[in-house]
Amino acid sequence: MWRIAPAGDRALLITIGTVIDPALLGQVLALDRALQDQRPRGLLSTVPAYASLLCRFDPGVTDVARLADAVRQFEGAEEVSIPSTPVVEIPTRYDGPDLPEVALKTLLTPAGLIELHAGREYLVYCVGFAPGFTYCGALPDEIAVPRLASPRLRVPAGSIGIAGRQTGIYAVESPGGWNLIGRTALRLFDPSADPSTRFKPGDRLRFVPIP
Amino acid sequence: MIEVIAGGRWTTIQDRGRPGLERFGIPPGGAADWFAARIANELVGNLPDAALLECTATGPTLRFDVDRIVAVTGGQVDSAADWQAVRVARGSSLAIGMIAPGLRTYVAVRGGIDVPVVLGSRSFCQLGTFGGGFGRPLAAGDRLPIGRMFGHELVVEPWPPSHRLPLQGPWEVHVIAGPQIDAFTGDALERLAATACRVTPEIDRMGLRLKSPGLRLQSQEILTVPMTAGAIQVTPSGGLIVLHVDHQTTGGYPVIATVVGADLALLAQARPGDTVRFRAVDPAEAARAARRLTDWLHRES
Repeated sequence: MWRIAPAGDRALLITIGTVIDPALLGQVLALDRALQDQRPRGLLSTVPAYASLLCRFDPGVTDVARLADAVRQFEGAEEVSIPSTPVVEIPTRYDGPDLPEVALKTLLTPAGLIELHAGREYLVYCVGFAPGFTYCGALPDEIAVPRLASPRLRVPAGSIGIAGRQTGIYAVESPGGWNLIGRTALRLFDPSADPSTRFKPGDRLRFVPIP
Repeated sequence: MIEVIAGGRWTTIQDRGRPGLERFGIPPGGAADWFAARIANELVGNLPDAALLECTATGPTLRFDVDRIVAVTGGQVDSAADWQAVRVARGSSLAIGMIAPGLRTYVAVRGGIDVPVVLGSRSFCQLGTFGGGFGRPLAAGDRLPIGRMFGHELVVEPWPPSHRLPLQGPWEVHVIAGPQIDAFTGDALERLAATACRVTPEIDRMGLRLKSPGLRLQSQEILTVPMTAGAIQVTPSGGLIVLHVDHQTTGGYPVIATVVGADLALLAQARPGDTVRFRAVDPAEAARAARRLTDWLHRES
């Protein structure tokens, strides 16, 4: 059952699940589309992430109980698949500062690590944290490593990191605690473009090693 | 045109922000003390969306090349324009100087600061380093164009002290439980409410790190979820981070409670060492608190 809880006095959070699973993302995106289509009174905007959806609302027009009712009617809808989009290639230079350390931890050679990271298609689960930051999954178990013990204050834009079973691309310079294994010159965030980000949840991508 | 003679500690151009773009990882932003900013615009007769200056700790020095109507609100400064619309004559300067009590001071100019709109707002976004005219805080030599975003006559009398928020702690901040209250033991919120939290030096527009001596909440990282301004994140070591207007849009620490929108204005004025107490309320009480401030804006009751 979906968990619907207030997130302050102007938003509510619908938690559909607690694990990384394409089926849960499918439900999140289907609910997101349904709410965009139906526009319950007072709903201002939504924010999808992995297995949850945040709904911001105008407290002068609606409240948590009424909006929760509007959301509940979509619960238990049939299995939904994620609309298929072309796989975007991310030209990647695998020269990140943490690559040697991650290879050591995973008992792989750097080449073996790169092969595992680049050797599969990823689903975009979320764009969040900072502008354009693209969360993807799922990483093969063999290269799942914990976050850095202490985050870096500055991670350059275009950096590609891994943490747990996730891999992500930093679209702007920001602090960050993921293990940096590579970088791309592809621009993922442009405030003058519409949309401003290259990816949205449900998109697919693949990292392509370049020298 | 207004010329920046000295930028101050961290002066940025802000308006009501760009809520609704969180799905792109873009924080809502806007004036951290939304209430003081609204009053500053009101005093000079601006529309609520007009952009103004948000000064932090030490404000800028500005020189005016034409006569302008200016009002200064929020954290206290030594200025004739403090909570009052005044005329600054052509060729003269306005020095904001030290801010205390309070941390953030707003300088509204009749007509608004007319820098380009980026993604629906003139606000500077620190996480994305865009907006705010220059993509950075103000620096000496910057020139600020003035727009025509006024909607009514300026307010002649000073803003009544009875219709201002406090500028000094201890801060009592209203919260609504959750959304991840289930990640904690049964009495965690009561224990949080009974704790005098202390503001650390780690505060900015993204959030405030608080010390909570003796509280020792247990938490574990969760699957990344969307975050809101006011979210009180509990880190695995038991630390508290209250997200503010330029917050990360998603996060992986459970949120025990969320500060109500109205009270984000209080946290915007909190200084390191101040005491913060959280008080759990229901949505109805939060709505009453919000309505009280709206009434104050319209100078009712």
